[in-house]
Amino acid sequence: MKTMEVRLKVNGEAKQWTIAPGDLLLDVLRREGYFGVKRGCESGECGACTVLVDGQPINSCLMFAAKAEGAELLTIEGVAQGDTLSALQEAFLDHGAVQCGFCTPAMILNAKALLDRKPHPSEEEVREALAGTYCRCTGYSKPVEAVLAAARGAAR
Amino acid sequence: MFDTVETFYRPSSVREAVRLLQNGKSRARVVAGGTDLVVEGDRSIRFLIDITHAGLSYIRREGKACVVGATTTMAALETSPAIRALAGGMLARAAATCGSVQIRNMATLGGNLANGSPAADTATPLLALDAEVVLADARGRRKIPLTEFYSGQRKTRALLIEVAIPAQPRGGRWSFQKLGRTEGDISLVNAAAGLQLDSKGRVKWVRVALGAVAPTPMRAVNAEKLLVGRKLDENALAEVGEEVAREARPISDVRASAEYRRATIRVLVRRALEECAAGTGCSL
Repeated sequence: MKTMEVRLKVNGEAKQWTIAPGDLLLDVLRREGYFGVKRGCESGECGACTVLVDGQPINSCLMFAAKAEGAELLTIEGVAQGDTLSALQEAFLDHGAVQCGFCTPAMILNAKALLDRKPHPSEEEVREALAGTYCRCTGYSKPVEAVLAAARGAAR
Repeated sequence: MFDTVETFYRPSSVREAVRLLQNGKSRARVVAGGTDLVVEGDRSIRFLIDITHAGLSYIRREGKACVVGATTTMAALETSPAIRALAGGMLARAAATCGSVQIRNMATLGGNLANGSPAADTATPLLALDAEVVLADARGRRKIPLTEFYSGQRKTRALLIEVAIPAQPRGGRWSFQKLGRTEGDISLVNAAAGLQLDSKGRVKWVRVALGAVAPTPMRAVNAEKLLVGRKLDENALAEVGEEVAREARPISDVRASAEYRRATIRVLVRRALEECAAGTGCSL
């Protein structure tokens, strides 16, 4: 099998991966130990595999890993600072915006991308930002409340 | 993963992309956002040609036309002031319905057209806008109407590099209508209309385009013809409904039956024309 090298940053760390040219980013991330990137539908419907590429949320199941050359990736593993959770993560905890937790990394990354772009979004904008992430426990209200609370700076 | 892929190319120019596409023959595929190609899962692909570094991500004015590079994402289209100002924001609105935030950050305008889905959300407004596409191959570049692209040119090995939207009639009014299970879902049916009235309130110029009711997105030219010179009264709207239902060639699939599509396209076209006539226009 032919391989190629990809240089990128993941959660602020410089990485060099040896990948197959047809590898998908989801597969490589999980192979490299980023298990917060979830394997869901693998067809861009459920959003569980969401990561931020240069600050933008994308479905890693639909992105060829080779396209990540030179990119800066953020996975859920990179959202906390050491042992200190981000305000957004705290808000998810405070609002009980987690059930089984499978979609939570994607919910938080999509919310983070929104808040980075727009610190005080409307509820409509929050719902729009989370619309591409399916919760298989169907818990949609609390994540919206959590994101709005984080935006108000009322995580605690 | 795509086990059969031997090489992933990242050409930095259209010329290089065209050469790679030609050399790779039928085993080479162009990829931009990948949101269709990956799902399609063709396991015969040996060469992937990523055109997102070939300088094709742009939205700019050229004279009176607005030109959009093929790898411009849906997210870029929906947020672009130029696209939001164009035709009442009809194309921006269509782009904003092309799937989730994540999908719209990846999916590109060129891909939406080149993939050839009859339900492509941006195709219908572009048909109503008389858009042209620029194709590139070893012989050079050529600009053809989007209608020609859909009537056969899409199947050639040429690379779609740009979409050109000409200046629109003064006082034009626009509407994009989409019926899907959710805002961002694939269209069960969609329609776009453009309308210009004369000083007496009669139709001077009109465009009606239909999506997901034929093998490709289509202009409803017979419906357009019967409107020109008339007032948009109840009779005219009823006749247009009959005509688009005749022109449409819908199929039944997992999302909707042909009968349902034929019935709903009449409703969407009526809504589109009524919205145009009321001057409420298309807005995000």
